[in-house]
Amino acid sequence: MKLTKKIVGALAAITLLFAGASTNSFAGSHSKFPSKTIEMTVLFGGTAKSVGQLVAKGLEKNLGGTVVPVSRPGGGGAVGYKYIQSRPASGYDIVWNSNSVSTSHHRGRTSFNYKAFTPIAAMSIEVPVLAVKSGTFNSVKELADYAKKNPGKLKVGISGKGAFTHLTSAIIFDTLGAKVTYIPYGKGKAPAELLAGRIDAAVQWPGQFRSFHKAGQLKMLAVTSQERIASDSSIPTMKELGYKKVDVTMWRGLAAKKGTPKAQIKALEKAAEAYANSAEFKAASKKIGFTINYLNSKQFGKQIAKDDKKIKKLMKDLGLAKKAK
Amino acid sequence: MENLITALGLIGTFEVMIAISIGAFAGIIFGAIPGLTYSMALALMLPFTFTMEPVTAISLLLATYIGGMTGGSISAILIGIPGTPSAAATVSDGYSLTKKGDASIALGTAVIVSTIGGFISLVIMIVLVDFISQFAIKFGPAEIFMLVLFGFSTICGLSERSLFRGLVAGVLGLMLMTIGTDEIEGISRFTFGSTQMLQGVNLLVAMIGLFAVPHILEVFNLRLNREDKTNFEVDIVKTKLPSFALLKKYFNLMLRCVGLGTSIGAIPGSGGPIAAFLAYSHAKNSEKNPEEKEKYGKGHIGGVVAPETANNAVTGGAMVPLLSLGIPGDPATAIILGGLLIHGLSPGPMLFIENAPQVYSIYLAILIAYLVVFIFQVNFIKHIVKILKVKPHHLGVGILVMVIVGSYAIRNSFLDVNVMILMGLIGYFFNRIQLPVTPIVLGMVLGKTIESEYRTAMSLSAGDPTIFFSSVVSLLFFGLIILTIALQIKKRMQDVKKQKQLKEQVQI
Repeated sequence: MKLTKKIVGALAAITLLFAGASTNSFAGSHSKFPSKTIEMTVLFGGTAKSVGQLVAKGLEKNLGGTVVPVSRPGGGGAVGYKYIQSRPASGYDIVWNSNSVSTSHHRGRTSFNYKAFTPIAAMSIEVPVLAVKSGTFNSVKELADYAKKNPGKLKVGISGKGAFTHLTSAIIFDTLGAKVTYIPYGKGKAPAELLAGRIDAAVQWPGQFRSFHKAGQLKMLAVTSQERIASDSSIPTMKELGYKKVDVTMWRGLAAKKGTPKAQIKALEKAAEAYANSAEFKAASKKIGFTINYLNSKQFGKQIAKDDKKIKKLMKDLGLAKKAK
Repeated sequence: MENLITALGLIGTFEVMIAISIGAFAGIIFGAIPGLTYSMALALMLPFTFTMEPVTAISLLLATYIGGMTGGSISAILIGIPGTPSAAATVSDGYSLTKKGDASIALGTAVIVSTIGGFISLVIMIVLVDFISQFAIKFGPAEIFMLVLFGFSTICGLSERSLFRGLVAGVLGLMLMTIGTDEIEGISRFTFGSTQMLQGVNLLVAMIGLFAVPHILEVFNLRLNREDKTNFEVDIVKTKLPSFALLKKYFNLMLRCVGLGTSIGAIPGSGGPIAAFLAYSHAKNSEKNPEEKEKYGKGHIGGVVAPETANNAVTGGAMVPLLSLGIPGDPATAIILGGLLIHGLSPGPMLFIENAPQVYSIYLAILIAYLVVFIFQVNFIKHIVKILKVKPHHLGVGILVMVIVGSYAIRNSFLDVNVMILMGLIGYFFNRIQLPVTPIVLGMVLGKTIESEYRTAMSLSAGDPTIFFSSVVSLLFFGLIILTIALQIKKRMQDVKKQKQLKEQVQI
């Protein structure tokens, strides 16, 4: 029977594919780097994934080998970090990481912390923004005054307890000295909930609010970075408004398992730098709405360590900290 | 008008047409093969679209989405394994029709009503986008909770043998959905300290297991017992398409299902499966003739028309929250959102002002994609029904490979392969003790939404349950729930009475 043959053929092809893949990953690793496919673990969907896919393509171009982005979502990054730890420290398994390396550890989801990874390079930062419905509050000060007068009444939308937007909100409202109620809801619903008036304020990424801000339906009050962001340069920073303590950004970069040979890290770092400076990455940053922030391995390591301290304290204060068994 | 002409210029290029054809084809294939999903096709394609022109890229993604949505019905009808969750409602009647030898009529109907459903919903969406997005915003957590609860109450009535059996399976689905990281509080539930388990049970993985594994086991079982024949009532596979008269008969039902699908699609956070199941139960309940009603679940063409119209009508509706609010309804639209963002098209009110030509191109791309999908599928039916001539155990081996590869590929996780096999064994066991498996899928589809919306609503009201009765929309749904349950109780009591009378008559 013809179709049976076809099916058998297809099966054979699939088997070959698998066999090909497995011999590939056990090929000799002493010669030139990379001599086989590099797997880049991506921990989240959404912007993290889109930018990750771009970076993988960019690395490929500057490294002269194949870099495949592979999604391993779950547990706020824990699943992917653990996968990297289970692999040999050869440089062929890298991770598109973020502050989640600290949050997942202090949440008790991973037994290891950021020190189990060797930083390669920081690539970008994304900056959360505080937004309200137009006509409700015109400035951060108005919002703060109302929240202080009515403790616990202001409803602030976050993605979920312990999510990065929750931590950012906690820093903002602690600095403002106001007690508010956090409403965790599904991802991406902030604009709709604000428009409907079910929540009073929300902390999310600028891309979600930009179009509504331009149309005059929602108002972005302030960003949480030290400097204004290029994609939304009309929005002031919390620092400019006098709340100097607010300095929160979500960084993204590349890391490998600790113990990866120096030569491999250097090669990857160089490729990352070349891509970070490319016109292509610049164009993407404008469209997607992130800020390019290249740091080399050493600088990146310092940033991660500094951030980890901050996150550790914050999660303890919020009662979210937990130790892994 | 000017925008429409600009859009025609953007879309009327050779590359865009090629992109739509490739997308439609890949979508159908990925949607039709059990184990592969069109979300996977979209994820694979996304990186290639980075370097394309925005309109070409979005057209490719949209065509894949639409091809997948219609393709999911192919395997549901031919082998009783839904290719996508949205096609799960089509299985019972579609597969029964195949067993009777009417596979090509079921497939043809599915293709035609899908196209009509998609077309009309798109037109509704283009004309009423502002109105619909205003309507969509009205649905807060409390309203969505009530809607899903209403869904549950109607669907409970669907279980064929007994309400009790349906509920057992449905509750199992609800329980499975609680495993993993809880998005709201960020805590781990039922993970037993395992990092892998934080991923939870994936809906697609569970569905693949529940439907495919029992099928494979059954086929091998027959083979081992030397019963080397198919369990079909007829051996001849006809390749007849549905007649015009047949379609005309169900035109009213189609229109109602389009309305249902478009509205459900427009409400943020719900989606294809809910629409399909609601449409199915609507079709069954609105059937006046008791003889015809009896046929539902045993191969009634209305049981294909309703869910297939509704799940494709969702595609038009889903464009509203996607384009005007930036809220994706399911994993597939989330990937399309990623594609939009990469090309600098950020959703919201300004998209319709600043990028009007692109928005019109999106509409046109959907229209053309439906046409292409229609042409592909109608020509495809003649060939695809031949798969029924393949010996079932040969086909079984192929399916086995696809479902294992497919369940791994969804999240590149071996946990998912194990879950798939475990769910498959549960499915097999359920078939043996005559418990239905579809309610498990339903429990899983609705479970996550119902839980998170309930908890968000309760935190909005600071723990005050009256929030569920504080708006017209939620009160309306509450009324519908009461009505549905009352009618079901009434019907079941009548049935019991009838049986009693019958028994008494026999005794006399």
